[in-house]
Amino acid sequence: MSPHTRAVETWTLQPLTDFVREASARLVLVLTPSGQVLAQSGFSRAVDVMSAAALAAAIVASTGELARQLRQPPFAALSHQGPRTGFFLATFLTDRGTLAVLAVYDLDVSSLGIVQLFYEQLAADLKAASPKGAVPKQVLAADFERELTDSLNTLFGR
Amino acid sequence: MSAALDLITRVRGVRGAMLVSAEDGLVVAEQLMEGIKGSAVAALAASLAGRLRRAMEASGTGRSVFWHLQAEQGALLVVPSGEESGNLLVVAVAEPDVNIGLVRLELLRAAEAGT
Amino acid sequence: MDEIRALSAQLAQDPQSLVFLRLGEALRRKGQLDAALRVATNGLERHPHLADAHDLYARILTDKHDYEKAFDEWDMAVRIAPHHTGALKGLAFLYFKIGDLQQAEAHLAAAKRVEPDDPTIDQAIEMMRGGAKGPAEQPAAPSPPSGAASIAAPAAATGGLDEARVFAGLEGANEGLLLIDGSGRVLGGALKDGGGTDVTDAVAAYLAGVSQEAARTAKLLGLGAWNGLSAEGQHGNVHLAHPTPDALLLVVRERGIPLGRLAILAQRATLMARRWLERQ
Repeated sequence: MSPHTRAVETWTLQPLTDFVREASARLVLVLTPSGQVLAQSGFSRAVDVMSAAALAAAIVASTGELARQLRQPPFAALSHQGPRTGFFLATFLTDRGTLAVLAVYDLDVSSLGIVQLFYEQLAADLKAASPKGAVPKQVLAADFERELTDSLNTLFGR
Repeated sequence: MSAALDLITRVRGVRGAMLVSAEDGLVVAEQLMEGIKGSAVAALAASLAGRLRRAMEASGTGRSVFWHLQAEQGALLVVPSGEESGNLLVVAVAEPDVNIGLVRLELLRAAEAGT
Repeated sequence: MDEIRALSAQLAQDPQSLVFLRLGEALRRKGQLDAALRVATNGLERHPHLADAHDLYARILTDKHDYEKAFDEWDMAVRIAPHHTGALKGLAFLYFKIGDLQQAEAHLAAAKRVEPDDPTIDQAIEMMRGGAKGPAEQPAAPSPPSGAASIAAPAAATGGLDEARVFAGLEGANEGLLLIDGSGRVLGGALKDGGGTDVTDAVAAYLAGVSQEAARTAKLLGLGAWNGLSAEGQHGNVHLAHPTPDALLLVVRERGIPLGRLAILAQRATLMARRWLERQ
């Protein structure tokens, strides 16, 4: 296991580790559309994970709504690329519910094509590994802070 | 461009030809036989092209004008094209015993036609 | 010229005879190398398994300074006839030429075991041990085949080329050939760019990545294991191969060398690198 790859839900760990290695991604989050992080790779600070997860969830929500207004299915993937870095965000369905993957990559070691290619594998691996028949647990407002703290502790090995 | 790709695929042993964005590793145009996954060819060819370019520049041999990966069950043949010979790749996937000289010529022609 | 005329007549009368060996050698000694080469290649076509024919061909190639092919021919002669002293001395000469004194002496010692009374072998060993002459003292056209003693002349001008020993006898053994391990560490050879700057370490570092990507590409595209990567550059051509699963070999040559020829050269270098790695 990469020292920088950690999972709250352990079934996500191996697929994520493989993806990070193959796609040479710098940062990756596996999360739910509501922003709950299941696994992360490459982040060194909890605050960055929280920000990235919140922003990714917001993008998923806003593009989902945009698609709904256009009367079409949700966008499968979204990517932006700058001169040195790109990011890729996509959602897919598993037995654990809809999940999103956010990947940030550097252009000198990877490319959108490579990230997309190995994202397909990641999505397939996560679908196969997700707990069958599992109903996503509702996070109550009262438990939210404790859940979040627990998750961050797991993600950063505390 | 599709006419140029067509000429490449007419060479005996060529299973597909593509135009690929070198920076993104995405398909720009393709003409492939069944069973060849264009997105994978594009992504991997562009990635290999990038690494090879760095090695060749370090060795003083300059940018590549043609390269050829030979494997047991097939070959990948590539000519960089476009502005500064690096924006696009003309790619052919072929059988291992393909006439490399002929494919090279068609790739170079396609690169000229595509720029 | 009478001897050459007489031998030519004999050969014309009986093209299958082995008189081509004497004719070829006579022509070589007279310096008529192109004619000698024709005689030798014709003879080899008729007698491909004759060690003497490969030995003759190698001598002529050496006189023509085509050491790479000469090495192959002597190597072939020794495979056919392991005790062929001419070929052993020839190989010793080529090893000596690129500074691999250990291999040179080993081949001379093997020749001496076959012909203990051959004084030229002792003489060559003595001269070799006595110190090699510098490059300025090298004769323009070394001719080892007529006597191992001539080994001392071309010599260890290449004293600093330990790394090139991997590729002993191969054309351009001391430049444009690089052997590295899977982590990008140099095992042998060296590279310089057009300006003469040593770029060995930089290229080695990049090559490991190229190799990994080539392996992944071939695997994921269903092409099986990769066995070579050739590239034409603006200023030169390269060929990358892997002599063993854990090693990589890069051959770099000027643009004028076609990729096909480069692949053949790489194939030879791959064999030599494999043997060298096995001995480590």
